[in-house]
Amino acid sequence: MMSGGAKALNAFVAGGDLKDSVFRELVEALPVAIYTTDAEGRLTYFNAAAVKLSGRVPELGTDKWCVTWKIFLPDGTPLPHDQCPMAIALKGAEVPTGIECIAERPDGSRFWFTPCPAVVRNAEGRIIGGINLLMDITDRKHAELEASEQFRAIVETTPECVKIVAPDGTLLFMNSPGLAMVGASAEDAVIGRNVYDIIALEDRKRFRDFNEKICKGEKGSLQFDIVGFKGARRHMETHAAPLRHLDGTTVHLAISHDITERKRGESAAFLLGAIVDSSDDAIISKNLDGVITSWNKSAERLFGYTADEAIGQTVAALLVPDDRQEEEPDILAKLRKGERVDHFETVRRRKDGSLIDISLTISPVKDNQGRIFGASKVARDITQRKKSEKRLIEQARLLDLSSDAILVRDGQDRILDWNRAAEKMYGFTREEALGKISHELLRTGFPEPLPGIREILLRDGHWSGELIHACRAGSRISTLSRWVAERDKNGDVIRILESNNDITERVRVQEELRRANQDLEQFAFSATHDLQEPLRSVKIYSELLATRHGDTVDEEARKFITFVHSGATRMEMLVRDLLAYTQVARFDAPSETADANEALNGSLANLAGAISECMAKISADPLPSLPVHRMHLQQVFQNLIGNAIKYRSPDRQLLVHVGVERQDGHWLFAVSDNGIGIAPEYKEKIFGLFKRLHTSDEYSGTGIGLAICQRIVDRYHGRIWVESEPGHGSIFRFKLPA
Amino acid sequence: MEDNEADVFLIQEAIEAKKLPMTLHVVRDGEQAMRYFDEADGDVSMPCPALVILDINLPKKQGSEVLKHMRRSRRCANALVIAVSTSDSARDREQMTELGVNGYFRKPSEYAAFMKLGEVVKALLAGGTSENRE
Repeated sequence: MMSGGAKALNAFVAGGDLKDSVFRELVEALPVAIYTTDAEGRLTYFNAAAVKLSGRVPELGTDKWCVTWKIFLPDGTPLPHDQCPMAIALKGAEVPTGIECIAERPDGSRFWFTPCPAVVRNAEGRIIGGINLLMDITDRKHAELEASEQFRAIVETTPECVKIVAPDGTLLFMNSPGLAMVGASAEDAVIGRNVYDIIALEDRKRFRDFNEKICKGEKGSLQFDIVGFKGARRHMETHAAPLRHLDGTTVHLAISHDITERKRGESAAFLLGAIVDSSDDAIISKNLDGVITSWNKSAERLFGYTADEAIGQTVAALLVPDDRQEEEPDILAKLRKGERVDHFETVRRRKDGSLIDISLTISPVKDNQGRIFGASKVARDITQRKKSEKRLIEQARLLDLSSDAILVRDGQDRILDWNRAAEKMYGFTREEALGKISHELLRTGFPEPLPGIREILLRDGHWSGELIHACRAGSRISTLSRWVAERDKNGDVIRILESNNDITERVRVQEELRRANQDLEQFAFSATHDLQEPLRSVKIYSELLATRHGDTVDEEARKFITFVHSGATRMEMLVRDLLAYTQVARFDAPSETADANEALNGSLANLAGAISECMAKISADPLPSLPVHRMHLQQVFQNLIGNAIKYRSPDRQLLVHVGVERQDGHWLFAVSDNGIGIAPEYKEKIFGLFKRLHTSDEYSGTGIGLAICQRIVDRYHGRIWVESEPGHGSIFRFKLPA
Repeated sequence: MEDNEADVFLIQEAIEAKKLPMTLHVVRDGEQAMRYFDEADGDVSMPCPALVILDINLPKKQGSEVLKHMRRSRRCANALVIAVSTSDSARDREQMTELGVNGYFRKPSEYAAFMKLGEVVKALLAGGTSENRE
């Protein structure tokens, strides 16, 4: 159904002449460009606005399709006039509304327009002409473009990730910083894909809920992890708002910030803070003016000020004692030059005014441009150390008073102290010796392997023995070394005090003495042995002289011959006993124990003649076995029982008893008799060599018997002595090892 | 083989007392003794001893050396040997036993005791001849 206006327009177009039309003035006055064409597109009319817009006066009946000079599509491609919207409409095709085009004026200027072509049909419906209306949209278009350019510029220049996500998670847009964050090489790699795929698994559900919430119209923030296309995990913080699309759907616009570094920094800072606070050392920071900027817990403990009291104060005012004020400027000067102050030992003042010994380590602190802006300061309380150092120095002075070489070493045998006597004895100065391994420095020769010595030291806490040490000059000296171990509460040896006495001379003399004794014994043995032979001849031939020629000489000669014989006999006994005496030392350590019963029986067999002659009664306890040479024990029994027989009382039958008892790891033997006994004043004397209390006329004997007993018992580090009641008897006691 | 004239006299008396049918030949030192064995090896007319009374302490060469030399000789290696000595040291006795002496006699300092050497010699010769017979 055609309206009245349309009818008039149709007539207007069909009439081809608008001059008289009632519309003419109206159309002419419209600010919108209007033109009409015939069915072939030839211009039949245009108004003033069309001339103004197109910048030219078209030629009626010649120009076709459009009043404009040149037309372009929005992307800049030229659009031939026979393909312009009016041309398309005249061909009977439907032309969509809202098309935007660009036209160029002959002067080169361009404008945006939207055409509104319409065709005019006759009663049969045939196209008889067209009318077009060109709406100038240049201003709007420019404004639009400007806005979009601004938006693009903002989105692309922000370092944040800007993205638009559809309710189902499809990524609709992402700026280049965002692409870099997710590790995408190009836009097409992500746009159109589902964004959920790059959210870390544990955060995926939270993100989906968040996305859906935003797409329903809410705003919000969220922290989550993504795992990018290259596998890098990043920690993101996003702020999102709903964005309404033209089609009525709502999507999720988000700006996300990569907070990976911040998170890492936060946890590192947290960790550092915890470390600083838990340190036993006072840790302080200050700026280059010496003003305190941080103060940890130990600083509070050490100096007595709380962090609140200390921060903002200068180190010089708060901590430095008056007599050390010059230190702080020096320190600050060094810091400004970027130098470090290492283990500077000084004194600082506490809040209560007391002074403490501390060791300071101060390092410059630089910002990320490398500029020094302050200093960190670690202060350690060394009051205890100073005290013990002082004590050690005092001790060292004491050690220097000693004439023994004294060295203190640690558990690893490193020398910690070395006194003056040690310097003198070994020739190494204290400085040379400190820190060295003592046994290497002195090339120590041990009497037994070192591990064994250590074991004793650990068990008993001390050790002593003879060591061989090398001096600086190369000479070797013998020392009597005494070690005392100091242990910690775990029982480990932490220090050893070693005190060495030079016994080189003593050892040499002892060795000489030992050799001299050995020579003497050898001499005594040979001498006594060789003396026996001529004596034997003297004795036998004096005997033969008496028996074969006694009748042919006078009384006096016979008496002389008797003297010769008895002298030789006596000398023979002496030589024999001396031989026995010297031979005591000639035995090595016993390899097996001796049965004392057997030793006793052996001695009784040797004395059998004498025993039966005087009808002595000998009794004995059951005797033990002990680690001595059987011959030695037999000799002791033989000499003691022999003495008992010799010095028996003429008034009564001789009774001898051999008893034994165990005492302190020894065997204590007792040989008791009921003989004449010994006066107290001779109790010691009788054990000496050649000591006799009686003349040989009264009692025969050499005086060597008891000396031999003494020597044998000595050899086993035992003891022999006599208890006696003169006239009633004697008890000889001797102690031997069990 | 004995260097001490006094002991040679006593040894002779001890043997004569037993009336043993033998000739006594005396050498005075170790070298002489060894030379005797060497000469006897080269001269069959020289008598080889049936029994040697060997003093352990001989001048020039020790009794032990003489004994070893004799045991290596061609003709006299098997002679019976009695070692004699003033010493009663166990070491001497052991050493001589190891070298294979047939008897050991310690020279005593009483005449009667010394004469017992005759009995030892007699017993050894009797035993030795019986051994040879077998």
